[in-house]
Amino acid sequence: MLGLPAEFTPEFLARLEQLRLKTRREYAGMGKGSHLSPRRGSSLEFSDFRHYSRGDDFRYIDWGLYGRTDKYYIKLFKEEEDLLTYIFLDASASMGFPQRDRKFEAAVATALAVAYVALAAGDRVMVRVLAGKGEPPAPVFVYGRHRIVELARHLSAIRPGGELDFAPALAREMVSIRRAGKVFVISDFLGLLNSVERALGLFTAANMDVSAVQILGATELDGQGLQGDVEVVDAETGERVRVSVGARERQRYRETLMRLAHEIRFFCSRSGLHYALYTTDREFHDFFVHAAASLGLVH
Amino acid sequence: MGLLYPGALYFFAIVPALIIAYLARERPRQATVSSVLAFRALRLMRGERFGGRPRFPWTFFVELLILCLAVIAMAGPYAVRKGNPIAVVIDNSAAMQAKTAAGPTRFEDAVAKVIEALETESDGGQVTVYTTAPQPRSLGGAFAETGTAAAAIRRVRPVDAPDDAAALTALLAQLSGNRRIGRIIFASYRTIAAPLPARLTAITTGEPVANYAIGSFALSRETFGAAALRARLNVANFSGATQTLKATITGDGKVVGSAQAATAPGEVAAIDFPNLAPAEEYRAQLLPADAFALDNVAFATGSAVKPVAILFISPVPADGESLKSIPGVALTTRTPAAYSPKDLAESDLAIFEYSLPKEIPPVNALLVMPPPGDPVFDFQVEPAARIELTGWPATDPLTDGVNFRLLNIRSGEYIGQHPWMQAIVSGAAGGLMIAGTRQGHRFVATGFNPFPYLGRQNLPMSILSLNLLSYLAGLGAQTSGYHTGEPWIVPAGVRTIVQPSGRKETVEPGSLFTATEEQGIYTLAGEAGTRTLRAVNLADLGASDLQNVPPIRIESAAGGAPGGEATVRTSLFPYVLAAIIALIMLEAILVYRSPHPALELEP
Repeated sequence: MLGLPAEFTPEFLARLEQLRLKTRREYAGMGKGSHLSPRRGSSLEFSDFRHYSRGDDFRYIDWGLYGRTDKYYIKLFKEEEDLLTYIFLDASASMGFPQRDRKFEAAVATALAVAYVALAAGDRVMVRVLAGKGEPPAPVFVYGRHRIVELARHLSAIRPGGELDFAPALAREMVSIRRAGKVFVISDFLGLLNSVERALGLFTAANMDVSAVQILGATELDGQGLQGDVEVVDAETGERVRVSVGARERQRYRETLMRLAHEIRFFCSRSGLHYALYTTDREFHDFFVHAAASLGLVH
Repeated sequence: MGLLYPGALYFFAIVPALIIAYLARERPRQATVSSVLAFRALRLMRGERFGGRPRFPWTFFVELLILCLAVIAMAGPYAVRKGNPIAVVIDNSAAMQAKTAAGPTRFEDAVAKVIEALETESDGGQVTVYTTAPQPRSLGGAFAETGTAAAAIRRVRPVDAPDDAAALTALLAQLSGNRRIGRIIFASYRTIAAPLPARLTAITTGEPVANYAIGSFALSRETFGAAALRARLNVANFSGATQTLKATITGDGKVVGSAQAATAPGEVAAIDFPNLAPAEEYRAQLLPADAFALDNVAFATGSAVKPVAILFISPVPADGESLKSIPGVALTTRTPAAYSPKDLAESDLAIFEYSLPKEIPPVNALLVMPPPGDPVFDFQVEPAARIELTGWPATDPLTDGVNFRLLNIRSGEYIGQHPWMQAIVSGAAGGLMIAGTRQGHRFVATGFNPFPYLGRQNLPMSILSLNLLSYLAGLGAQTSGYHTGEPWIVPAGVRTIVQPSGRKETVEPGSLFTATEEQGIYTLAGEAGTRTLRAVNLADLGASDLQNVPPIRIESAAGGAPGGEATVRTSLFPYVLAAIIALIMLEAILVYRSPHPALELEP
C-alpha cells in the first residue's frame, strides 16, 4: 500500500493510529505536541506556582491561594510538546540470515510501524540504520504521517550487510544526538551480550527511554535449518565453526539461543528498558498489537 | 576352503581408498549463518573429523562388506570336501550298435551296466559323463547326483561314427591322472590292457562276433562321358570261416545289380557291378545278415546323367572341336581375351591351350603347351623341333593303356623342373607331361598338343587324351568318399542340409558341418532350389572287425592316486555373488526409504 510493506493494511494502520508512544520520563520537544514536556506551558497539567509579576496573565492567578495567603501567585502548567523518537535499525549481515526468515524485512516493518505511531501522534522520528551494505546511509528525520511512505522507500532500499559491534556503533550515534527522547533499537542482538548491554546502557545513561526489539527467525531458532556435518560461517565475522547437527544438537542450539534472548530481556528489565521479542513465524499484526505495552506504546 | 586366484586378494588394498572416500564425503559442507554464537556450544558435542575421531554411518560398513565380498569373489572361493567324483566314459561309437548274444545291443548293455554301477555308489559325489564318438566329449557339466547322471546316460544314443582310439586313450589317461576323480567307469567294447589304473572300472560289453562288412562303395563311369556307371564294393569277412558274401545294389529303390564273392576269413574282396543303370541314390546291402547291421549297408550317389562340362580356352578355339566327338561332354570355348574366371563356375574341367589363367583356377585344369614366363605357374619351357620320349610310368592312370612307343609326337616343348608338379612323361630334355595338385585341384601340363590327333588314326594319343580327361574331369560321378563323424566344409550356395533321419540343419556356406554322425544320404539344398546328394558311410573296416579289437593302453595308469584322496571342489562364487546382490538391495531399500533431511546452504 503506497510503497509500504504488505503488512500495512488500512486496518493495521487504523489500529496503529490508536496507539501512542509512552515514555517513562518527560522530554523536551521541538514543537507543540501531545507529550508533556519539562518546559512550562499551557497544558492542563499543573506544574508549579510562582509569585505574580507585572505583566503576567492574571487569568492564571490562583485566587484561592490569594484568599488564604493574601498574596498573588501565578499557576504554572506543563508544556505539551512533541516527542523525539529515535529508531536504530540493525542492518548488519546477520539480519539477512537465514534468508527464508526475512528478519530484516520484519525489522523494517517494525521500524515503520513504530514510526507511523509516532508520526500519527505528531512526533518527530529519526531513523538511523546501523551497518548495511555499501556506504552508511544518512539518518532520516521525518515529521508528519505522510512522510511514512518516504521513510518506507528509504528503508526498502537498504540491504543487510557488514559487521556491527553494538557498543562502539551506538556510542558513535549518541554523539550526534542533541536531544533526549524515545529510543527504539531493533536488532537480532546476536552479538556478545556484554556489547549489547553496554550499548543499551549508553542510552539509559543519556536519560533516554529505550525499547529493545529483538527479531529472531523461526528457522534460525531451529538450528538454521542445518543437518549433519556442517561448517557454519558467521555472516558478519566470517568465523567458522564445525558442528554436527542432529536432533540433540538442534535442541541444544535452540536452548542456547533462547538463553541469550533471556539474558537480554533480563538486562532490559533490570535497567528499566522496554523489551519485546518477535519471531518471524508469528503474525506481525498480532505481535505488534499485543506487544504494544512491551514496546512502550499505549492505547 | 580355498581360493582359485589368491592374487585377487591384493585388491583389498582398495579398502583404505574406500575409507578415504568416506572421510572425504564426511567433510562438512559450508553454510553461512546469522551468527555462530549458539553454534559454539555445539562444537564441544561434536566428534572431531580428520585428525580427530571419524564417524562412519552403517552404510559405510555395509559397503565395506560388499567390497570385501567382491574381492573374495574375484579370488574364486571354493569349498573342499571329501567326496567321490565319478567320471563315466561310455562308448557310443558305431561298433556299440552290434547286438550281443543276449539280444540287446552292446550300447544298451553298457548303459544298463553303467547305471547299475552308479547306483552302487553311496557317496553321492558328482558325476561327469563322457561319450567317445566321433570325438570324446562331456555331456555338459558335472551332475550333482547319480540319478540325474543316469537319466542323462539313458538319453545318449550310439552314433554311426567310429571312435577315435587315440583321443579316447588320451581321455582315459587324463582322467586316470586327475587326483580329484574318485572313480572312473569306462564302458566299451574295447578292453584296457593291464595294468588297469587303480580307480578305473572297465565294463567290457559284447563278445567277439563274426561280422561281414562293406568297406567301401565306389562308383565310377564305365568310360569317360558314358552314362552307365560301374560300382566297386569292398567287402570283408571278419569271421572264422570262408563265407560267400552276396551284395545287392539298388538304385532309387530298384535293384540294379547283384553279385557275390567267396571270401576267406579276414579277407577283403572286391565285387564289381558293371553297367549300373543311372540313379540318384544307390544303396548296397550285404548278406548274410550279422550282429552288426550298420556296416552291411553302404550308400553312394550318382550324378552320371550330368554331362562333363569342359571350358576350352585357346587362341585357336577350333582345336577343341575334336572334344565334341566324346559322348557326354559339354564343350564351351573361349579365347583368352574373352575368358573370365566366372566362366569356370559351371565347368568341371578347364583346358588352357597356348594360354594360362592369371590365377590358379578353382577347377581341375589341363594346360596344353603353356607359354613361358607366366608368374602364376612359372613353367620353364624349351621348344623342341623333335620330341623324344624317354620315360613314362606303367601304372599311372594318366598313362594307363597308352603305347608310348607308337606315340608319334612331331613337335612340342620340354617343361623344366616345377615346384609342385612332377613329370609323368619325360623326354630327352625335360618333362613332356607333368601333373600336380594345388588348392585341392588337379593340374596337368603337357608339352605337346594332343587334340589335333584326337579321334584320328593316332590311337595311343587318343587313349592318352581320354586318360587326361578322365583324370581331370573324373568319371562324372561321386564316390562314397565321406565318412561318418568326419566334418565337411559346406559347399557354396548350400543353405540347408537334411540328414538321413530327416532332421534339417540350417548352414552357412564355408562353415564346418559336423553333424555327420548318421550313415546315409544327406541332401544339400541351395537357395535357388538346387539339390545335391551326398553319401556318408561308416566305411571303416577297423570298426567292423568285431573279433580283433586292440586293447587300450593307458600310459599314465600307474600314476593314478588312490581313491581315498579324492575331493570335491564346490565353487562358492554364486553364494558370494548372491550375498553382494542382497546387500546392495538391502542398502538401496533402507537408504531410499529413509527420509532425507533438508539441508539449507545459504548463499
